[in-house]
Amino acid sequence: MALHPKPVPAHGARRRRRSVIPWTVAGLAVMSALGGCGRTSDLKLSLSGSSTVAPLAAEIAKRYEASHPGTRVDVQTGGSSRGIADARTGTAQIGLVSRALKPEEANLQATTIAIDGIALIVNAANPVRSLSDGQIRSIYTGSLTNWRQVGGADAAITVVTKAEGRSTLELFLEHFRLDNRRIRASVVIGDNQQGILTVAADPHALGYVSIGTASQEADAGTAIRLLPLAGIAPSLENVRSGRYPLSRPLNLVIQPPAAAGVPPFLAYASSSEVNDLVEAQFFVPPAP
Amino acid sequence: MASSGAACFDRAIDTALALLAWLVALLVVGTIGWIVADLLRQGLPRLSWAFLVELPIDAGRSGGIRPILISTLLILGVCLAVSVPIGLATALFLAEFQRGHRGFGPLVRYSLDTLAGVPSIVFGLFGNAFFSITLGLGFSILSGGLTLACMVLPLLIRSMETALRAVPAEHRLAAAALGLPQRVSLLHIVLPAAAPGLAVGLILGIGRALAETAALLFTSGYVDRLPGSLLDSGRALSVHIFDLAMNVPGGASQAAATALVLVALVLLINGFTGWAAQRWLGSLSSAAL
Repeated sequence: MALHPKPVPAHGARRRRRSVIPWTVAGLAVMSALGGCGRTSDLKLSLSGSSTVAPLAAEIAKRYEASHPGTRVDVQTGGSSRGIADARTGTAQIGLVSRALKPEEANLQATTIAIDGIALIVNAANPVRSLSDGQIRSIYTGSLTNWRQVGGADAAITVVTKAEGRSTLELFLEHFRLDNRRIRASVVIGDNQQGILTVAADPHALGYVSIGTASQEADAGTAIRLLPLAGIAPSLENVRSGRYPLSRPLNLVIQPPAAAGVPPFLAYASSSEVNDLVEAQFFVPPAP
Repeated sequence: MASSGAACFDRAIDTALALLAWLVALLVVGTIGWIVADLLRQGLPRLSWAFLVELPIDAGRSGGIRPILISTLLILGVCLAVSVPIGLATALFLAEFQRGHRGFGPLVRYSLDTLAGVPSIVFGLFGNAFFSITLGLGFSILSGGLTLACMVLPLLIRSMETALRAVPAEHRLAAAALGLPQRVSLLHIVLPAAAPGLAVGLILGIGRALAETAALLFTSGYVDRLPGSLLDSGRALSVHIFDLAMNVPGGASQAAATALVLVALVLLINGFTGWAAQRWLGSLSSAAL
């Protein structure tokens, strides 16, 4: 073995030897003490599924816990398919599913707690009153670029789309059977508010935002107009009744028979007591 | 003169390469600077003491992150409490007893290197299947911490092994020459001398654990309530950032503020670990006397 004279590591100031382990243990103890204000609960509900529904479900769960002491509601995410699977296997009592149930899922029971809808919006000054699905698809893929081609003024269309990862984008792409990579957009926006501001400020813009937010803003006098889709007006009534095509129900799904404690929660989550929470997440409350 | 022309050409190439090296280094620093500046610009206005100690409100759009911070620390605590003893023991085994290229050691190293390359989502699915369902721990801080422990172990062991191997053999030989038993030489000489290297391994492990999102979504879960015990589900900071950025419209600035807290936490833990290692190294002098 080669014997290189290697320098011995420099030593720090001479202190009494003290291990770091007690410090670490003390730190962990403090942490568990901070976290460990033990609470007992009699009833535990578990929800799991769609990441679109999860933030709303978690807000409803918090309010439910506050008004029903002794009940704990845990919300987990993982996607709609997981919501269906977990409700079936009983891993979770309630599945979160951001679509209507398919025929092969008819043995499950769905409770709609909110509706996620999208409205196509243009500037209030735009003379175009409606666009067909085909025209919208062509505009978003870049083959129609001027309002003149769809009966409007001679001006280039400002195409406004949503950033990746928004449920609105997902629903929009799915409805128009578009691939996000094929979309040719002039402006990419983050949230609904930004979309509305963009369209209100640009007379030649076309965008899409959550229908709840859009109708609130239009009623409040913001310079936007909601376009009908396939001849159906984007009214909240049409969204609630399911007639408006560009919408999807957000469901709580159970495998009957319902476990103890589940029916009251379902009733609460679909009641008007949580309408403000639904609206705060930019969804439309279901018909009472 | 041909030779002077060649020298000139060589110098020019050298200068260009040096310039390139500088540019690349600047690019790296610039990227980090950009990330931090972006986080600061978006997150700093939201950051306050209240942000740290309040409960999240309106799906995290307002309020603070207290339960999430506490869950994160608990998950990290579980992860370290499990992975550090196992990791250190395995690293000692590999560095002190399996130094050769034959036998059991290479097999262990090979499996560790394979595990280190496994994507974290695979650990998440494994943790969900094994800890949450098979062991019945459900969505809990315990499942999350144990899954993270599995994930950071390969990283921890390999870097700790390197640190132990870097301790000069003369230290061990000197101890043996004095007739000290191997446990004494390990505990009082080799380990303290390797402390800074061990700390680097630990810091890498903690960094990876705190950054983890995919594995935790399926194990420690999404619940943003203050955890009552280790068997409760608890949302980690990284999961909170992911949720605010991707699922909650209007959550971007809160996500940036949470990311700032996460970065600060990593720096704080790194600082503490480095300090503790230096103290341990300092203990060499008093132990040797």
